[in-house]
Amino acid sequence: MTPGALSQGRAWLSRHGYVGLAALLLVLLAIASLIFTPGQFGWDAIWVTLGTAAPTLLAAVAVTPSILSGRGGIDLSIGPLMGVLNVLLVQYLIGTAGLSSPFVVVAAALVLGAIGGLINGILVGVVRLQPVVATLGTYLMFSGLAIWLLPSPNGTVPIWLTDLSSGGVLIPLIVVAAGWAALKWTPYYEHLMAIGGDERAAFTSGVPVVTVRILAYVLGGVLAGVAALALSAVLGSADPTVGPGFTLTAITATALGGTSLAGGRGGLTGALVGALDIFLLQNLLTHFNVSTFALQIFYGVILVLAVMSNAARLKVPWLRRGGTA
Amino acid sequence: MRALGGRHARSLAAGIVVILIFLAGSILVHGFGSFGSIRSLLLLGAFLGIASVGQTMVVLLGGIDLSIPFLMDFGNVVAAEMTGSGHPFWQVILVILVLAGLVGGLSGFISARLRIHPLIITLGMGYAVQGAVLLWTKGFPSGAAPQGLPGFVSVSAHIGPFPIPPIILLWALVAIAIEFLLQRTVFGRRVYALGSSPEAARLALVPYVSTWVWVFAVSAMFAAVAGVLLLGFTGSAFGDVGSPYLFQTVATVVVGGTMLTGGEGGYIGTIVGTLLVTELTMIMTSMGVSSAIEEVFLGAVVVLLVMLYGREAHVRERI
Repeated sequence: MTPGALSQGRAWLSRHGYVGLAALLLVLLAIASLIFTPGQFGWDAIWVTLGTAAPTLLAAVAVTPSILSGRGGIDLSIGPLMGVLNVLLVQYLIGTAGLSSPFVVVAAALVLGAIGGLINGILVGVVRLQPVVATLGTYLMFSGLAIWLLPSPNGTVPIWLTDLSSGGVLIPLIVVAAGWAALKWTPYYEHLMAIGGDERAAFTSGVPVVTVRILAYVLGGVLAGVAALALSAVLGSADPTVGPGFTLTAITATALGGTSLAGGRGGLTGALVGALDIFLLQNLLTHFNVSTFALQIFYGVILVLAVMSNAARLKVPWLRRGGTA
Repeated sequence: MRALGGRHARSLAAGIVVILIFLAGSILVHGFGSFGSIRSLLLLGAFLGIASVGQTMVVLLGGIDLSIPFLMDFGNVVAAEMTGSGHPFWQVILVILVLAGLVGGLSGFISARLRIHPLIITLGMGYAVQGAVLLWTKGFPSGAAPQGLPGFVSVSAHIGPFPIPPIILLWALVAIAIEFLLQRTVFGRRVYALGSSPEAARLALVPYVSTWVWVFAVSAMFAAVAGVLLLGFTGSAFGDVGSPYLFQTVATVVVGGTMLTGGEGGYIGTIVGTLLVTELTMIMTSMGVSSAIEEVFLGAVVVLLVMLYGREAHVRERI
């Protein structure tokens, strides 16, 4: 390895160091998975495995921008938003309206997701509700709306959408990863990290704090739209009850991946690594026939331990900054 | 009066909304204003109110406790199992309080000592507790409600000659005790001090870690007690009895005017918030509104009320 590559590697590590233990855990889990469940990671099977993991991965990415935006930022409504989008897309757009062209469905998913995110963004940025309160409100509204629209699972999805749960899964994942990489080239990314790190310093430096914060929630909503497509692909139908469960998994994955709940630190890599950890862990424990109950204990303990090991990085800034954070 | 208007302004606003909703309910639903209906309101409110005690204290400290529903499940299932295998009630409640206190205390200790956001720690601890309970009962909790408990919490129960269920009295006593603890003791002052400015509190030598440990321990214990009380109400154990309370306890606290940033608010606000959430649910249920719409409505009410009196300052005012 040349010195140049080495220092590049070091630079990459220092930028992604927050992923820390989650990355180590991922390596261990991946090796264990390859040894014990090789069947799921063969050339054909791996796409199905990845397709099953996709809604969790994308939900974790969707919750990340709101957390990065700081000031207690968190979007609890991501799960229910995915659920209500699943119902709207599959039951109404594809079912009732009969519009099953990929362009229409994908566009609708992104636009409706953005609207859901915009509602949160306005409540948090303009009305200035605490993010937990605002998104708790929309959590209840979105999940209630989904069940009201469709009390029990129904509908089917077109073939192209089903493909997203196998080989096609690469499309949304690559698009999201490329989009995120592109975002990092824009000033918006710096602004987002700045308001998450220290909102007041960012404001005095002329960062449009309110706009940046609203856009963070809109971005989360758009990503929830992508996640809803992946979810619809896996489910193959409209199901009003599965969405809300993704909120806690997404937050867990994000925290596990080292994204600071205080804002300003973390990113796509952390969310994806954390979500993969959770997915592989569940998968592996299920393989060993560990009862779902013991799995639940493992899950909780690993979460606590992983977050503890990141503690120095996750120090809550309000302890240093005073009480107004 | 000024102090009342200042410190309790948000709770007062929520209180007015409670009365308005009550009046609206009396008009919309026949018999809603009757004694029996008020008694049901207080009875249903007691479960939520007792479960929200800990959330109030944790939020005053500047944290949030997501382990409450899991500890309610824990209290509910353990009480039924232990009673089923013949343990007397005092043993049951002692074991539950000690274990819940240890779990809560550990959450508080980890969060405070390592300065990690309690949202994740309490969630992880909650998952672990739920898993342990399920593993222990193999997913099928059995057993029975302790002797006398159903009589303590049922609508038709009474205290001596008075037709008031004892649990309502318990809630009132708990409320007085918690308000006393928060407003009139050193411990309470420490909670407010840490919640409004951890840094200033540290310089004033307020013990940081031990206060967090105690608050989270108390929160877990009240959650477990609420789970035990619910066992009396439903008669048999249910491993998922707590799940609606995850967000409802947060809703009662914030609707009652306690700020999630810590240091502002109190249990009186939570009582008001509890009554508001409970009466709203009762009115909608008796009007035949589906539970899905109830949820939408509750979400909208939380947002609208906090919009009225819980807005944060613009960043330009906080420099």
